[in-house]
Amino acid sequence: MPKNIDIDPNKIFAKDFLKSKELPIHQYQKSIDDELKIHGKENLKEVLRHMYIVREFENMLNSFKTTGSYKNINYTYNGPAHLSIGQEAAAVGAAFALKPEDKIFGSHRSHGEMIAKGLSAIKNLRRDKINSIMQYYNGGKLISYVHKNLNDKEFNDAEMFLLSGVLAEIFMRELGFNKGMGGSMHAFFTPFGTFPNNAIVGGSSGIAMGAALHAHLNQEESICIANLGDGSTGCGLVWESMNFSSMGQYKNLWPEPYNKNPPMLFCFMNNFYAMGGQTLGETMSWDRLSRIATGVNSEQMHAETINGSDPLSVADAIIRKRKLLIEGNGPVLLDIECYRYSGHSTTDTNAYRSRDEIKHWKFFDPIQQYSKKMIEAGIINKNELNNMIEKVQNQIEYLTSKVVDRELTPSIDFEKNPTIIGDFTFNKKVISVSTLTSDLLQNEGEVNQMKSLQKKSRFGKSEEGSLLSGMRAITLRDSLAEAIIYHLSRDKSLIAYGEECRDWGGAFGVYRGFSDIIPINRLFNSPISEAAIVSTAIGYAISGGRAIIELMYSDFIGRAGDEIFNQLAKWQAMSAGELNLPIVLRASIGSKYGAQHSQDWTSLLTHIPGLSIVYPATPYDAKGLMASSLCSNDPTIFFESQRLYDKVEIFTENGVPKNYYTVPFGKAVKRRSGKDITILTIGASLYAALDASIELLNHDIDAEIIDARSLVPFDYGMLLNSVKLTGRLLIVSEAVERGSFANTIATNVSKFAFKNLKASPMIIGAPNWIAPGADMEKTYSPQSEDILDLIFRDFFPEKRINKRGLRKDWDFIDLAKKGL
Amino acid sequence: MTDIIIPNLGNEISEAEITEWLVATGDDVEQGDVVLLISTTKTSLEIEAPTSGKISQINSNEGDLVQVGEVVCTIE
Repeated sequence: MPKNIDIDPNKIFAKDFLKSKELPIHQYQKSIDDELKIHGKENLKEVLRHMYIVREFENMLNSFKTTGSYKNINYTYNGPAHLSIGQEAAAVGAAFALKPEDKIFGSHRSHGEMIAKGLSAIKNLRRDKINSIMQYYNGGKLISYVHKNLNDKEFNDAEMFLLSGVLAEIFMRELGFNKGMGGSMHAFFTPFGTFPNNAIVGGSSGIAMGAALHAHLNQEESICIANLGDGSTGCGLVWESMNFSSMGQYKNLWPEPYNKNPPMLFCFMNNFYAMGGQTLGETMSWDRLSRIATGVNSEQMHAETINGSDPLSVADAIIRKRKLLIEGNGPVLLDIECYRYSGHSTTDTNAYRSRDEIKHWKFFDPIQQYSKKMIEAGIINKNELNNMIEKVQNQIEYLTSKVVDRELTPSIDFEKNPTIIGDFTFNKKVISVSTLTSDLLQNEGEVNQMKSLQKKSRFGKSEEGSLLSGMRAITLRDSLAEAIIYHLSRDKSLIAYGEECRDWGGAFGVYRGFSDIIPINRLFNSPISEAAIVSTAIGYAISGGRAIIELMYSDFIGRAGDEIFNQLAKWQAMSAGELNLPIVLRASIGSKYGAQHSQDWTSLLTHIPGLSIVYPATPYDAKGLMASSLCSNDPTIFFESQRLYDKVEIFTENGVPKNYYTVPFGKAVKRRSGKDITILTIGASLYAALDASIELLNHDIDAEIIDARSLVPFDYGMLLNSVKLTGRLLIVSEAVERGSFANTIATNVSKFAFKNLKASPMIIGAPNWIAPGADMEKTYSPQSEDILDLIFRDFFPEKRINKRGLRKDWDFIDLAKKGL
Repeated sequence: MTDIIIPNLGNEISEAEITEWLVATGDDVEQGDVVLLISTTKTSLEIEAPTSGKISQINSNEGDLVQVGEVVCTIE
């Protein structure tokens, strides 16, 4: 909602026709002589050799999967093999035209793309650069392995480094590019410009887009490519990412030199099948895949349909589009039509396509066609060709014979290190920031909204002890703002976005005034594309940046489900720690807005390994935990409660420090000391528990209250010490009780402190149904009355007094029987 | 006679600060003119004259905290 772009009703309602341009379909016309002039003979021969390497590599995998052997090498490969046999021209043609610094992101079917891009990088990088990459990677272990075991001088050691890194990864060995943690569908090696391949269809679209944003903001001369399948055009994230790549604000609102579009290329490897569903004519609406570009922007994403069985037609398109992207005039969509002879996977029986169709396409086999063309043009003779084929086959056979050998090329030793995946999950690295960045629009002190914080009391109570209002004392909202603006003003790699983040200041006002300080290219409004918000942040972060993103209501986590559960939480471990994801995802738990806007989904996320999860309940903790989150190189989910934004600090005597400080992850804090029962609270439930503890005193029950603050990691130390003294534990959370993280803690305390317990640990959360509207909300999130009822019923029945809450007579066994 | 009152500004917001008066007693205003600026813990807001007329009374000063629903100004 920038005020400088008016929506003029006269223009809006003027009669007109929406115009669209013709999109080129197979318009490539260069002759082989033209291509010779551009690339030279040797390069054209290399294209052929690279295609043979890709084909033989995948033939080898196919052979292992279907027969258990390849050229007298026996090996049982248990992992997936989504082969692209028949699509080699698309992979090699594209890679041939890309620079080593260009980044490709792929799909589950990307062995070919990854090998082709690696071979192209090896061809184009200086030898000393290649040497330093190989020596640096994994402490030089892989290149030593190559020099020791794959030392036949007939083969280029850098190619053997690439191929053994990929194959060892596919075979889940420790020398694989990701130590075997990624495997066939995820292998990548960033120094050669190959980035995560994604087993979730379309998953790479947003991640590549985030990388393009990073390249753009760092003025890099490189482009980012999402290699996607035709089936991904049915995925929401792909559409969100295409929109994100051509948002109007880049050219309309971003300052120089950022007033251009990010260098983003959507490359659809269109083989007409989405597993067994035929995209053309059956599952998709388009008649040509490139048609979808007409729905994205007036440039129609400069889309073209390209013959993917001819590597030179693909390379020609990539060269032209790369130039356009580097100039800032993207995004681009390429529909690269090709065909896979192999099944979706090796268990595919081709029930969905006819033998005649496969036979027909074999006339268009890219390798056969291109070989014929090269021979006809006199670029290669038959003898040379046969020698090339034989050498490639020997190369792959030689490679394979060593990599299958478990003695020579072992997997990670889990006997020796059974928790090693845990080491890959979190990197525990932190950064610190100090000096102001040079791009600030104004200093913090000059902005009214920030100035108003200076007038407020840091502590939430007056000298007489009465509670101050949020207009007079620093609130949780203010304290978040202080930590975030501190980092945004001092960390140029940090960007912040989400819906309404700029002029509005975020739906709950945390960023109020920030748009007067942080330039729009680092603090911007995103489209309502939760999946793309998270996905682009991942791409931005793995490229070397940091991001704080906002999902407004945490209920919208569902919209970004895959991006949080399968991407954000997993890439650090799937890359065996090669990738860092310094991302803070702010998610606000709603109030008074009913079933789709008031859910505490903390437990949903604690169930997914790989995320740090914090949920502060006080201004002091909000500021300190936010600072820790922004320093962390691990992905953090930062829960906030809308009921708490106006809370002032009442626990820490000196209030919220003006100066910067951090509160460490994983440390709970005692809010009240007591001897009779321990109450552990998660997030906003702290305040209901405090009210209950005051009433308990009237019944001679002295409760100890511990505020969890951080759910992952969680340090049981303070809790166990407390339970040792009190012998009783109640955990209060606003998440629904079924599957709640509170149950996990309760179970663990039962195990760890069984001998100290006088009664079974209990939990209280929301009932297993929807959050009702505002007037009924007190029937949903646990109130102090509910806490009191439970404490008297389960821990102190002898002191039981009049029941107060709604849950007094609930029969939980009966409710469970009813599915509640 | 029409009162200008501090509007409801969302959940959990019960008070606002008068940031600036853009009119004084005796001024003529048109319906839709911005007469004062307020801020809450969450946002800043321009308050418009609901009707045309003369400002007959202003009940609070810049910097004052006022409650949601409070009459801050009257137009005759």
